[in-house]
Amino acid sequence: MPAKKFHLGWFTNFITDEWSSTFAAGGRPWDGKFYINMAQAMERACFDYIMLEDTLMISDAYGGTPEAYLKHAIMVPKHDPMPLAALLGANTSHMGIVATMSTMAWPPFMLARVSNTLDHICKGRFGWNIVTSGENHAARNFGMDELPPRQQRYDMADEYVELVKQLWASWDQDAVVLDRRTGTYADHTKVRPINFVGKYYKCRGPLNTAPSPQGRPAFVQAGGSPRGRKFAAETADSIIAPSAGIQGNKAYRDDVRAHARKAGRDPNAIKVLFVVAPILGETDAEAQAKFERIRQHPMFVERTLASISSITDIDFAKFDLDEELPRLTTNGEQGSLDAFAQWGSGKTLRQLVMEQVSRGLDGMVGTPDRVADNMGMIMQEVGGDGFLITRPHTTFVSRQYITDICEGLVPALQRRGLVRTEYTKSTLQETLREF
Amino acid sequence: MAKKFHLGWFMTATVDDWNQPFSSDGNPWGGEFYVDMAKAMERACFDYIMLEDTLMIADAYGDTTETYLKYALMGPKMDPAPQAALIGAATTNLGVVATFSTMAYPPFMLARLCTTLDHICTGRFGWNIVTTGENHAARNFGMDELPPRQQRYDMADEYIQVVNALWKSWDPDAVVLDRKSCTYADHTKVRPINFVGKYYKVRGPLNTAPSPQGRPAFVQAGGSPRGRQFAAETADSIIAAASGIEAMREYRTDIRKRAAAAGRNPDDIKVLFIVAPVLGETKRAAQERFDLYVNSPDYIVRQLSGIGSVTDIDFSKFDLDKELPRLITNGEQGSLDAFAQWGSGKTLRQLVMDRAKRGLEGVIGTPDQVADRLIEVNEEFQGDGFLINSPFQKISRRYVNEICEGLVPALQRCGVVRTEYTKSTLRKMLREF
Repeated sequence: MPAKKFHLGWFTNFITDEWSSTFAAGGRPWDGKFYINMAQAMERACFDYIMLEDTLMISDAYGGTPEAYLKHAIMVPKHDPMPLAALLGANTSHMGIVATMSTMAWPPFMLARVSNTLDHICKGRFGWNIVTSGENHAARNFGMDELPPRQQRYDMADEYVELVKQLWASWDQDAVVLDRRTGTYADHTKVRPINFVGKYYKCRGPLNTAPSPQGRPAFVQAGGSPRGRKFAAETADSIIAPSAGIQGNKAYRDDVRAHARKAGRDPNAIKVLFVVAPILGETDAEAQAKFERIRQHPMFVERTLASISSITDIDFAKFDLDEELPRLTTNGEQGSLDAFAQWGSGKTLRQLVMEQVSRGLDGMVGTPDRVADNMGMIMQEVGGDGFLITRPHTTFVSRQYITDICEGLVPALQRRGLVRTEYTKSTLQETLREF
Repeated sequence: MAKKFHLGWFMTATVDDWNQPFSSDGNPWGGEFYVDMAKAMERACFDYIMLEDTLMIADAYGDTTETYLKYALMGPKMDPAPQAALIGAATTNLGVVATFSTMAYPPFMLARLCTTLDHICTGRFGWNIVTTGENHAARNFGMDELPPRQQRYDMADEYIQVVNALWKSWDPDAVVLDRKSCTYADHTKVRPINFVGKYYKVRGPLNTAPSPQGRPAFVQAGGSPRGRQFAAETADSIIAAASGIEAMREYRTDIRKRAAAAGRNPDDIKVLFIVAPVLGETKRAAQERFDLYVNSPDYIVRQLSGIGSVTDIDFSKFDLDKELPRLITNGEQGSLDAFAQWGSGKTLRQLVMDRAKRGLEGVIGTPDQVADRLIEVNEEFQGDGFLINSPFQKISRRYVNEICEGLVPALQRCGVVRTEYTKSTLRKMLREF
């Protein structure tokens, strides 16, 4: 029986491309052309979507200074993904374009409007990655002294999503009539204010945009905490999930699907995609050597610690590399901290750092055929729905890596009948439900 | 030798002119229509395309959205930011100016977006600074109505301080890309701004790399005295309504005086007056075109709806054949004054007929005739140039062609506008002459 097909996305951001390795001379991709090329390569490989992540601050968690973040370009510079999404949409014809926009940063009317415009530019292929922002320094760029507590952020996000959905529905899909005889562009009886008055948000509406091909953007979301999973299960068309081993992935997906059923949704309407960072080579040995070069890079330890510091708000510069970590908790990403720290393993901090490259799944280092076999096996065990490629930890996307994936890994998956070889649907929501 | 001047185009990313003998399909939302327009403008060496914006659907005329939606007046429209990105990426010399409201964007987001766009536009991006002038727009942002105008300007003053500080939060040479030391950027050249004001509080720094211009070019309209002051202190280019030569002279002189008093070189501000040429192969053809338009059955309703939407005034209430009573608005006072021609004794109907000309006589004719007129007007006060605006409230490819392949070449033949680009950023282009 032919194996069930799965979906592919790519988790990236409008940050620097690889600027200092052997076959990369980037560092200033700010006119967008590098990412346009990337999206076009991905479209040739029939990816479901490219996802542009975003954050809104420069961290100083490591050593109490932004020095490491600026030196290693960790999450900075990071440019606004919204205009880049327009460029990617205009330069592709089938692939989905997903951009992250934070409910903390965008007034709901503006988010609803720009999403509509982008769905038009992307001809029905636009998606919104829904985030609330998770860093105090980001909140401080928006007039706050710190983030609201997580539960309140989700309460606000619930209301926000309800509001923008109403804005997208404020025009009937057939409101634009273009009647030459009567000289009528749009029928005012099919356009209505929403008069939304909530606990956190108030908006009269209607939108001042014509209905877009999908009516609303596709919804993409990550959701780690229990509240986050519920939110994602109730709303998302696709969920971004970190890899947590085969059993962990299966448990997560089953849980999301259970939440979906409880909320009255068909669980097959949500595609859970697991983040993986394949390292590829012409031979297994070559791939393994690449893997080792990443870990042995003189900046690897500092980059890894700075990254984990920034998402947990814990200063890892304070700990001895050759000792075990003390038990830690965080108001930031507890899940990521636990995955990194491997509590009870007895490992030193240096050992934990060296193991960080695997990103939660084995078997992603090898030839395209080996990695493709492994991905197929994982999908069999987990049940679905696909993977989000991302660049290996502490590296940046390079044209070489794009080629490794799009001209190596994806064709190997295609030969196994595991991913599509052509697009047959015209909108992102339809593409996600294709299988 | 007549003084060289600048050209821009004041437009909206709204429905194109869809219901004329020569027009497109009324579906410009993919962005291609306005990219094509920008490319035509670039061939004609315009300084900049300016994407206007508003954030609501009006119901000022007759207290219903009916005319606004029937005639697609001021909307629906596209968010100008993604359209600006598409235009910037499709051009290499043209300035790209987008309208962003200080009411709609948290300052950090606006600063970041402008930097991102200035990179995409390779140093050719400009921000048209508005505070938003319609109560319905305020109601889309959780307010019951707009703050009073003075407070809006107070807030805008502070807002500009915040975003200027953010644009300076990275030194221009902070990105070092040093392979030997594996250093991308030098942290000693990046600093928080720690801004605490009456209305805004922002820690900073920006998380974007410094853009080619460092900050966007600043464009502004400013009709009221406070607006004039704000524009004179801040803008690289000012959008101004033309209400006859004396008013234009007075406006520009006043702006320059205010700029000098604020310590700026007045020549650094290009005041561009809105004009709406109607062109034809002969003067008669142009006049017929104009007459056909102003005599069309819905012309009056469309014009009154338009001026009503930016002033929050219901003009359906007034007798067309009487003078207007004196009116003020919390919205666009400058536009209201330009339309109303206070003290002229004209009836509302006469004002409406005049509106299609945007306040300037002599811009209906052949390209050569209109070019001569524009030069004559500009020479009257040694001005800075003009902003084209479609007289038909909508844009068609035909009209773009008439301007870019007709009017501008006529101006070029007279030696008053550039025939090639020589500067690499929008701000430099504006100071070219």
